[in-house]
Amino acid sequence: MNGVINFLELAIPGMVAFVLAAQGTMLGGRAGVFNVSQEGLMALGASVGFLVSYKLGGTFGTNMIGLAVAAAAAAAMGLILAYTTTILRLDQFVVGLALFFAGIGLASLLYRVVIGIVPQPPQIDTLDTIPIPLLSEIPLLGPTLFDQDIVVYFMFLLSGLLYWVLYRTNLGMKMRSVGENPRAADAAGISVTKVRFWATALGAALMGMGGAYLPMHFSGIYTDGIIAGRGWLAIALAFVGGWRPQYVLLGAAFFACMEITALELQSSTVIPVEFIETFPYVAALVVMAFIFRRTQVPAFLGRNYDRESRTAS
Amino acid sequence: MTTKTQAVGPSSDGPLLQMSNVVKRFGTVVALNGVDFSVDRGEVHGLLGGNGAGKTTLMNCLYGLYRPDSGSIVFEGKPLTIRAPRDAIRYGIGMVHQNFLQVDTYTVTENIVLGTQVSSFPRFDLRAARKKVMDLAERYGLNVDPDKRVADLPVGVRQRVEILKALYRDARLLILDEPTTNLTPQEVDALFDSLRAIVDAGTSIILITHKIRESMTVCDRLTVMRDGQRVETLVRRETTPRELANLMVGDQAVIERVAVAVGETEPESDTVEDKAPKEPSTTKSADAESASDDEASAATTDVEAAEEAGVEEKPADAEPASADETAADTDAEAQQDAPAGPIRLRVEGIDVPGDQGAVAVHGCDLTVVSGQVLGIAGVAGNGQVELAEALAGVRRPSAGRLSVNGVDLTGRPVRDWLAAGVTYVPEDRHRDGILTTATIADNLLLGSQRTSRFSRRGVVRWRAVRRTASELITRYSVRASGHSAVAGTLSGGNIQRVILARAFSREPDVLILHNPTRGLDIGSTQFVYDRIREVTASGAAVVLISEDLDELLYLADHIVVLYNGRVVGRVPRQQADRFQLGRLMAGAEAEGREDDRP
Repeated sequence: MNGVINFLELAIPGMVAFVLAAQGTMLGGRAGVFNVSQEGLMALGASVGFLVSYKLGGTFGTNMIGLAVAAAAAAAMGLILAYTTTILRLDQFVVGLALFFAGIGLASLLYRVVIGIVPQPPQIDTLDTIPIPLLSEIPLLGPTLFDQDIVVYFMFLLSGLLYWVLYRTNLGMKMRSVGENPRAADAAGISVTKVRFWATALGAALMGMGGAYLPMHFSGIYTDGIIAGRGWLAIALAFVGGWRPQYVLLGAAFFACMEITALELQSSTVIPVEFIETFPYVAALVVMAFIFRRTQVPAFLGRNYDRESRTAS
Repeated sequence: MTTKTQAVGPSSDGPLLQMSNVVKRFGTVVALNGVDFSVDRGEVHGLLGGNGAGKTTLMNCLYGLYRPDSGSIVFEGKPLTIRAPRDAIRYGIGMVHQNFLQVDTYTVTENIVLGTQVSSFPRFDLRAARKKVMDLAERYGLNVDPDKRVADLPVGVRQRVEILKALYRDARLLILDEPTTNLTPQEVDALFDSLRAIVDAGTSIILITHKIRESMTVCDRLTVMRDGQRVETLVRRETTPRELANLMVGDQAVIERVAVAVGETEPESDTVEDKAPKEPSTTKSADAESASDDEASAATTDVEAAEEAGVEEKPADAEPASADETAADTDAEAQQDAPAGPIRLRVEGIDVPGDQGAVAVHGCDLTVVSGQVLGIAGVAGNGQVELAEALAGVRRPSAGRLSVNGVDLTGRPVRDWLAAGVTYVPEDRHRDGILTTATIADNLLLGSQRTSRFSRRGVVRWRAVRRTASELITRYSVRASGHSAVAGTLSGGNIQRVILARAFSREPDVLILHNPTRGLDIGSTQFVYDRIREVTASGAAVVLISEDLDELLYLADHIVVLYNGRVVGRVPRQQADRFQLGRLMAGAEAEGREDDRP
């Protein structure tokens, strides 16, 4: 019993980076913009979030500011993606890859410029858990779900909110139509460009936040490579979750469990660490192979819309 | 129903819409060359022209899908700048596109309200919208189930959804782009009734069409376009189909050919493709009691039109087979009397699965011999696509055997089918027929890339490809800047010409044609018919799958009727009776189809 609680206590915060990045991917994707720069935007978020928080004092409050600035920085990158793909109609994949490299490079560069090369890496406070009165007393659920830090709560609320917006509001109906058939949306009087701008920027902001969470949760220090492929897995997660917020959340739980399992195995077996570290990726591959056939992908995912193109949609 | 103006013809307030000197270029191609166009209040205005005449382009400019390079639009007395469909909708202009612009996964109601204001607080409530949709549907006779997913609906119903979408937004000008293309005769009839009701309620309608007879049935005035220019605007009562054909085609030689070939099957000098008024007029006589005044007047006009055309009058209840038999006397007779040639295509008891896995075609047996055209009739969605793909070797049947020239090809790769001389012209041009981002030359090469003519030791001989492509472009009158033009930039009719050029130039032994003339103008349609005659004369077997009975009666030696994936009737052409065929198509009289009007 205690083992399970311990495991889940670790696994649930482990979901955060996956969920935020994958929901961000989902958000842009539902409007038809396939962002592939997660890994880069998350690295940028991690670096910017850490640096802002560190320079302001490295406390809980500055961590919150750090998260917000990280989101803003990533959103700015998202706007570049939106502009280049909707207005200039460049290939989404190519721009996304460019942004990935830019994000990785900027993250590293900013850290060098602000901190420089130091013998002892600077540290910020990690986020404290905030037990929710009464609810945290419930056996099993209490310590695992209701005794977590603020971003974990945000992750759950966000997923619920996204579900509500997408499926229970007029805005969501419009947004989904842009990803399904932009020409139909356009002919119905919806601005495809505007929807894509918003969805891409907000999606990117979530990715930046997901990245910024990592140093604030795990060690309080930033290192290059801190994202460790979580961004790429977020793309897989969007597919595994069928581009639906509720299943993305479920899928993230699975990935987080794999990650924690891999971590625990590292200390207890003779299997090479490098091999164990491939676990989440192999799991993603296996899951994709079984689930992918049935997932519904937005029909216009990754395709730009040109109103005057005479090619049938 | 409303107190809006009901006048036909010029109203005292001036025209509802005035477009002046509209110019639109796509790259170097001038699609619209200074077009003036005006529509009055409360009229159905036909916009008539052949493929690539610029009808749709002009309307896309009005609806904000294209930005014209110059020109002005005055609507309801106010000059407008329309930058996007959003603007057009706000000003009261609605458009029903030929390829419906709907979100497949949404319900009817969701598609209709999409883009309008719906409150999401405290909860997202579509009930009021749904009620309004149902009211409109009832008022204009546009029956739909508001809760169905549009992907599950037949074409006729999806079209009603599009019309309701415009009406829901209170459109005062409704544009319909080739609305009858995919409809059964009964649906066309119902649609025209609905259009009348809409016009009577005060909305003006622009009907884009290339079918002369259809425009003579419903339109008050007609504007003819050709080569991106307005040729003439006429009042329907003062014109004749022949005059319209003249204006549309503008080439006397073509008109003569069309008249000679089609004139005998058709009382009007119109394309054989047009079946609309024939069937409708019979439906009218059937339920004459319930016929409204509108229907009666429409029927009268139909006869008037026929008289004006200077052809023999053909009452609604005339012996149907007679006209077709006279057609048989022409050039097809020789084929019928000729002894049956070698069997080209033999189909034995095939079951073909549909996309969802369920069996779409059950136990189908067919034989087509050299020099014959086998027609397959049926209402869309009764297994035609699956059967066509199975006959072309693209879709693997789950049971039964297929052989070409005596060689069993069941389950063999498409490459073997191509090598065996099978060629396929699919129904869905954009999806299955053409690479929209590739050049015309690439598209024409497709499927022949392994032949010695175009390849040497696995390397494509591009010079030969380009030379052949240029020849075919000329021969098949494809309107394009050259063989390097990107196929997706062509108009629908020209894309079909490329596909047909590819199919016929391969000199096939077996040719599978699925709705080959859909959406083509008179000249193009006749051109296709000529080619079909040519390949059968040289010994090919043709399977012609068509929803157009006139086309089948004109070309096919035998007609097979497909209903619910089963062959429900086989008739030699001489014994074919279009009413009997119609009953078979509708499921042997017993069960009515849900997309029929109640």
